[in-house]
Amino acid sequence: MNVEIAGLTRRFGRTQAVAGVDLSAGPGVFGLLGPNGAGKTSLLRMMATVIPPSSGRLRLLGRDPGGYGPRREIRRRLGYLPQNLGYYPSFTVAEFVEYFALLKEMPSARVPAAVAAAIERTGLGDKARARLRTLSGGMLRRAGIAQAIVNEPELLLLDEPTAGLDPEQRVAFRALLRECGEHATVVVSTHLVEDVGAACSEVALMNQGRIVFHGTPAELIARADGTDAAGDAPLERGYSAVLAAARSAAGARA
Amino acid sequence: MTAALAPAPSRRAPLAAPARLLWLELRRNPMLWLLPLLAVLFWLGIYRPAMASPPFWNVRATDLQHAVLFLGPLLAGATAWIGSRDGRRGLTDLVGVTAVPRWAGQLTMWAAATWWAEAVYLGGVAVVYGVTAEQAHWGGPLWWPVAVGAAGVATCCALGFAAGALLPGRFTAALAAVLVFLALGGGAFALQNNATYAQMWPLNVQGHLPTDSYGIFYPYLPDLAIAQVMFLAGLSVAALSALGLPAAAGGSRLRGAGATLAVAGLAAAGTAVGLAGTARLEAHGIVIPALHDAASDRPTSYTPACSHSAVPVCMHPAYRSFLPAVTGALGPGARPGGRPARRAGARHPGRRHDRAAGVQQRHPDRRRGHRRQPVSGLPAAGRPVAARRGQHDGPVRRGATNARRADDPERSRRPIRSGGAARRRRPARLRRRAAAGLTDGGTGSGRHGAGEGRWAVTRRRAGSRRREDARRLDPARQREKPGGEGLDVC
Repeated sequence: MNVEIAGLTRRFGRTQAVAGVDLSAGPGVFGLLGPNGAGKTSLLRMMATVIPPSSGRLRLLGRDPGGYGPRREIRRRLGYLPQNLGYYPSFTVAEFVEYFALLKEMPSARVPAAVAAAIERTGLGDKARARLRTLSGGMLRRAGIAQAIVNEPELLLLDEPTAGLDPEQRVAFRALLRECGEHATVVVSTHLVEDVGAACSEVALMNQGRIVFHGTPAELIARADGTDAAGDAPLERGYSAVLAAARSAAGARA
Repeated sequence: MTAALAPAPSRRAPLAAPARLLWLELRRNPMLWLLPLLAVLFWLGIYRPAMASPPFWNVRATDLQHAVLFLGPLLAGATAWIGSRDGRRGLTDLVGVTAVPRWAGQLTMWAAATWWAEAVYLGGVAVVYGVTAEQAHWGGPLWWPVAVGAAGVATCCALGFAAGALLPGRFTAALAAVLVFLALGGGAFALQNNATYAQMWPLNVQGHLPTDSYGIFYPYLPDLAIAQVMFLAGLSVAALSALGLPAAAGGSRLRGAGATLAVAGLAAAGTAVGLAGTARLEAHGIVIPALHDAASDRPTSYTPACSHSAVPVCMHPAYRSFLPAVTGALGPGARPGGRPARRAGARHPGRRHDRAAGVQQRHPDRRRGHRRQPVSGLPAAGRPVAARRGQHDGPVRRGATNARRADDPERSRRPIRSGGAARRRRPARLRRRAAAGLTDGGTGSGRHGAGEGRWAVTRRRAGSRRREDARRLDPARQREKPGGEGLDVC
């Protein structure tokens, strides 16, 4: 398993962002669904080694990121796209991707080819020499995806990757996700259930810092059977049903 | 994703990763945008004043060491801005999860910014020294003042960058610029108040000595410059090492190394300050016993430049450009078989030393953009350009003063006292004169009064000098001395 999480918590002051998550994921595309403030981004940041967990056990790529040496090794084989992607406006797309390839300690000889491949896979080939400040929001997002995949990561963490992409690009992006998921663990945090249905082999639904559902998209769809859950698509209805059940259970506990 | 043409991988051999990172930072560093502004500042603050000075290597080197005053605040502000880049751009998370330690990435950014800053400074040095090489008649470039200037530039960049990286904020850049400016100004204040540690001030060149006291008749003493470079390097190392202290900077071993380097940097800076405390002012420079090379105390050998007139007039070759003017002035009064007049040294025209502030100041006439007034006895027109450029504004009295100082071991070995103490020791009459804007006469070491009074004093003093010159150069007043056949004005 590339991701092994047990009893993971993360607290920001009085706020419990992640409250005892247990999760494991191997190669494939793993969708992380949930409403705003459910703790998806906090969980993803812990998996990306941005922040340490408050408690619990976290193992990534078979290593404990608590130590600096293993953490560095994980980071070499990690791709991460944060929710709010920053960028250097004066860099070109190629320079931006190359910059992160070098920071990920890729062998120098492999960098030019890897940069070209990543840019091409995200459909930015004709914009490779364009300054980032001249790109649209969707193109910037694709540049962010390019930097995340440039090192062919074994663990790819994408926070809202399709935000700002047009429908055509989203379709292409799902294909890219499936391609990456063939040899790596791809964790995608998103609000868009259709992306999950199209690209993910597994899905987890978070609510109030906890995983309230873990299974396949088909199992999530099946949760809507026999309920009057809201939604236009089967996956949306399954999502709504699970969420409604989780909220009523939480209300009953309270 | 749609397939499109991506840039073909370069066929050139790839640079090593750190070098490639540095190359990317160099190409996209915001300092590039500031290069024209830095160049203009250098031109206004350093080049123009340097070119208005006589073409002596020591004078020009002094100007170059002062570059940090003009470039430092802007560099500190710019590097603070650069240092806070990741914070401002929301890239902290993304950059923080890369394998390369954050500290290494930050050092690369600092190195790129400093590279451009040094490029401006050293490019300016090359221009100033190139022009000086064309104009100067003797000597060669002094590199220690340039080293202090370059170290000062790097230190301003390091301090600003560390401030920006550790305290990213909207006002950090402006604050860093203001603080560096105040620190440079505070150095002058501390020097004025007899603070020994203020000798480290990067604008301090050989304490209170006038510029003709070093680098011409004696080698340039690098003692103070070595201590200054040590101090500035220590500060830079400490500031940059502080970047390695936060938890996100790297592993515990790396952070330990950062802490060790920070302590070492501070220790180096402290040692330099301690060394400065042992400094003493000699006739031809500041001597720090622990750093002093006794070989530097020997006078510089030179072959005098002599005129081919009936009565040869010989000068130190550094002052060769004055030879025609001096020969023309002295010729009528020097009779064959007359007595020689040895005048050691010559004061640099257009330069005056403000002992209180410890900084070289220009003659007020030159600050106003005027060339010097013609000296009595020397025709303004028809003189060679070089002679006009380097015209004396008074008798060669400084050298004699310095020679006396050198002859008096007690006086020359006194510990350095800055202007404040010296001013307190001055007789009340002189203090009153200084307060009224009058200088203390012959040595040109007094403080000017402010405002109009200063110009009036300057005019009065120039008139007095001209009268004195005329008296000296008037053949009828030349006193004959036995045993000489020429005039030796060295």
